[in-house]
Amino acid sequence: MIRVEQLAARRGSFTLGPVDIDLEGDSYLTLLGPSGAGKTLFLETCMGLISPASGCVWIDGKDVTRTVPEQRHISYLPQDLSLFPHLSARDNILFGAKRRQLDKEQVAARLAGLVDLLDLHNILDRNDVSTLSGGEKQRVALARALLPNPRLLFLDEPFSALDATIKRQLQVKLREINLQMGVTILHVTHDQEEAFMLGEQIAVMIHGQLQQVGSRDDIYYRPATIDVARFLRNQNIFDLTVEEVLPDGSLWLGNGIHLKAPGYAGAKKGLRLAAGIRSEEVMVIRPNKPIGPELQDNLFHATVDDILVFGGTHTLCVRLQDSGITVDVELPNCAMRDLGYAVGDALRVCLRKRSLWTIPLESPDVWKEDHDDQL
Amino acid sequence: MLQRDTVFKISMLLPLAALAGYFLLLVGSQAAFFSLTGFFEQLSQADIHSAITLSLVAATVSSAVAVAVAIPSAYALARLDFPGKRLVDTFIDLPMVLTPIALGTLILMSWNTAFGSLLASFGLTVPFTMAGVILAQFTVVVAISVRMLKATFEQINPRQEQVARLLGCSAFGSFCHITLPLARRGIVAAVILTWARAVGEFGATVMVAGTAKGQTATLPSSIYLAMSMADLPRAVTLVVILIGISLLVLFGVRMVMEQKR
Repeated sequence: MIRVEQLAARRGSFTLGPVDIDLEGDSYLTLLGPSGAGKTLFLETCMGLISPASGCVWIDGKDVTRTVPEQRHISYLPQDLSLFPHLSARDNILFGAKRRQLDKEQVAARLAGLVDLLDLHNILDRNDVSTLSGGEKQRVALARALLPNPRLLFLDEPFSALDATIKRQLQVKLREINLQMGVTILHVTHDQEEAFMLGEQIAVMIHGQLQQVGSRDDIYYRPATIDVARFLRNQNIFDLTVEEVLPDGSLWLGNGIHLKAPGYAGAKKGLRLAAGIRSEEVMVIRPNKPIGPELQDNLFHATVDDILVFGGTHTLCVRLQDSGITVDVELPNCAMRDLGYAVGDALRVCLRKRSLWTIPLESPDVWKEDHDDQL
Repeated sequence: MLQRDTVFKISMLLPLAALAGYFLLLVGSQAAFFSLTGFFEQLSQADIHSAITLSLVAATVSSAVAVAVAIPSAYALARLDFPGKRLVDTFIDLPMVLTPIALGTLILMSWNTAFGSLLASFGLTVPFTMAGVILAQFTVVVAISVRMLKATFEQINPRQEQVARLLGCSAFGSFCHITLPLARRGIVAAVILTWARAVGEFGATVMVAGTAKGQTATLPSSIYLAMSMADLPRAVTLVVILIGISLLVLFGVRMVMEQKR
């Protein structure tokens, strides 16, 4: 459907890419990244609003790198929606169909379908779109983008200004649209929950570089770079060295802490790597509770240093007794109520091998300079 | 606290009242020299008719051309990137800082070049003609028009134009269907103010076109001529006409601006 090859662009001192991405028809890709990562610049370059410094954009097998935006047949829903204030809600929605001179009967049928799907009955004939609520504006802008029957829909942080309830309703609508209308969607967001809820595939962009593209599980449990791991709130990241490669391919890692981790092709003794585990994947076990052999590896005695309370979860900051390393453990409120831990309590934590991820560090110096303060 | 608020309000209102009083004095002082009979008597004179007609026609043509040139120029300055943009942007402000007399001199001198001779060979003569009046007014007012319209275009969200492009508009289509309608009130305000400035233009017009009665004398230059010959009833009549036109225009601008809000 859309393929981007080595696409690079510049805005001021910021450089995007080179980016490679291949999006199949009817798929839903969320492009996730922090503010200033270059996500919007990437969309603008793909849409032809900005000339690329290098690289190509292919749509349906045709090179459109030098094609004007109106001939790329991409519909776009920007963050600020950009409704046309001098037009009524109906004229906003019909704008694209009129400009493209689409068949009137088809447009009328499609409009009726969108009015039902997006519940536009009460707002379709509103003359002043500036008086619509945030959710109403969102639905009008979405209908405007969908009416010309695009095969590609680009969404740029479309729900960032909405409250949680309306946001959820519209997210559900978007999934329906993707499935029912067969529209390929590229959705830019910095909201991780939104990205994981909507995206079949997720691409993570940081500092203008596409750091990882993969399934939800790939991105969440197997980050490809330290930047991705940190952006996805992996709190427990360790700077380690391979001490031994076991016959089954597993690795023994050490550097203050001694961990058994999954192996990977090319692992060898002495290699420096980052290993990590999500805080919700860390198991806590009472000191005297008997445990099975599957939990014997990576089991550490620890003490609770601090307890942080969030909305639905608690985070225990525990200090491992032998190494002094601090590990964050996230527990749902109900588990925390049952376990009843307090600061100073002794416990055991298990960093299960299957939950650990590892990233080879090509340049240890970069790790030292950039990440020592966060370790 | 309330007392401090009152003192603050008074300190703001007093200069305003003084300013309004000063302008009232300027306008009101004409009453001593004004009589209705004299007014209509002056108004029936052919050269005054000619001055009024010339002022209105020349101002309309020059402001229309100025706005027509200013719309694309201001859009280019507001939206496009091109080499030498800053230089061009500064250069266009020149008529706003240069005295109109100097501008008029520039126009006259430029007509004494090969370029002027070339245009003259096509029958376009500027010095001491109606075309000169229009060119002088255009030169003075076009910068005002560009400045106003640039500010108008800068206020329009460029994302709206981009969305229109992706919905099927060409760059020109997006400009016509989105940018121009959104800039409508700014354009109307620019037309009115440009026109008002053109009607009142004196320095450059006198330099380029002179003050030939019934030919190139506009309302402002006729006032100057009347005063220089101590013909007070004529001067006051012309001033009253100019005030009437100016008040109408300013009222129009206020109406447009209030709609904008």
